[in-house]
Amino acid sequence: MVFTTVAQFVRANINKIKGPDEFWRKRRIFRLTAHFIGRKRNCYSLAIRGAHRALQYATKGRHLKKKDMKDLWLQRVSAGSEEHGVPFPVLQKGLIRSDVLLSQKTLSELATWEPRTFKALTQLAWTKGVEDGFNRIETLGEPPKNVVTRGMLTKEVYLSDDETKK
Amino acid sequence: MRNIFERVKQWNTLTRIWHLYDAKWQDPFDSAKVIQKYLKGLHKPIYHPLADCGDHVVVINCKEIAMRGDEWRKRAYFHHTGYAGGGTYTLAWELHDKNPLMIMKKAVYRSMKGNLQRRYTMERLHLYAEENVPQDIIENISSVIPQLRDVPMRLDRMPEDQVKGYPKIWDLPKDYVVR
Repeated sequence: MVFTTVAQFVRANINKIKGPDEFWRKRRIFRLTAHFIGRKRNCYSLAIRGAHRALQYATKGRHLKKKDMKDLWLQRVSAGSEEHGVPFPVLQKGLIRSDVLLSQKTLSELATWEPRTFKALTQLAWTKGVEDGFNRIETLGEPPKNVVTRGMLTKEVYLSDDETKK
Repeated sequence: MRNIFERVKQWNTLTRIWHLYDAKWQDPFDSAKVIQKYLKGLHKPIYHPLADCGDHVVVINCKEIAMRGDEWRKRAYFHHTGYAGGGTYTLAWELHDKNPLMIMKKAVYRSMKGNLQRRYTMERLHLYAEENVPQDIIENISSVIPQLRDVPMRLDRMPEDQVKGYPKIWDLPKDYVVR
């Protein structure tokens, strides 16, 4: 296209130079601030500052939400394991050594919705702790007797003299 | 809900439980950390900070709490009336003489983070100086929080014959002056 004057050029390319129409440009911001209170909602110069701040908070919040959920799962799992007399560190270490690689989230859901399954896991961890000699594991009391770990199956059994004679 | 036991199990999970804690010879600050867990419901796998899942805790024998070392003489509680020069420092033993529940109450209160929920959580804490608890409180109790330390037997309260019959390793010489 050929433009004979600058004014004609500007009129044809107004959107490229100025950006979108003022009304619609502002409206995009006002959509973000529609739920704010006070002048931040309707006065553009305040609204755009509020919108910027809100988006910054949202970015931080996405990370914080993940952290909060992790903390909550940790709290729930340790509460569940202490119900069965096993401190959380013992549960965690015992399960990892038994090759039970469940996430914190899964464990917390098991503790709430499948308490018997969760109890079995705590007992497994406890038995593993006794087998591997965790620090101060004997203070937890009598370990459960209904658990068979992989280590027990491969362990050599030494019989006393009387039993070998039979 | 499959059967009546499942129903009771759910009911047990979602109701408030009343716990009993005997503070005799216990450190109030260590005890507070345990008690606040029950008050807020942190001991339940269904815990959520916005869910109202905390339990009641009845603490007896608050008068008989124990503090380590010089704490009774050295620990000071600050109070300010709001007027100029209105600040006072009360030593722990003085405060305990005035009100035997105050140290335990402040210990639990300070063990929790300051938020809007703290005052309501504190209302679920019931403190008693001695063992006599009103009947309407005691009939709710269905659980006991284990003590942090065993209460040791005091020599002056042991039965006479047990003290006499205790095996001796050696006798003091007759001319030894006991100071």
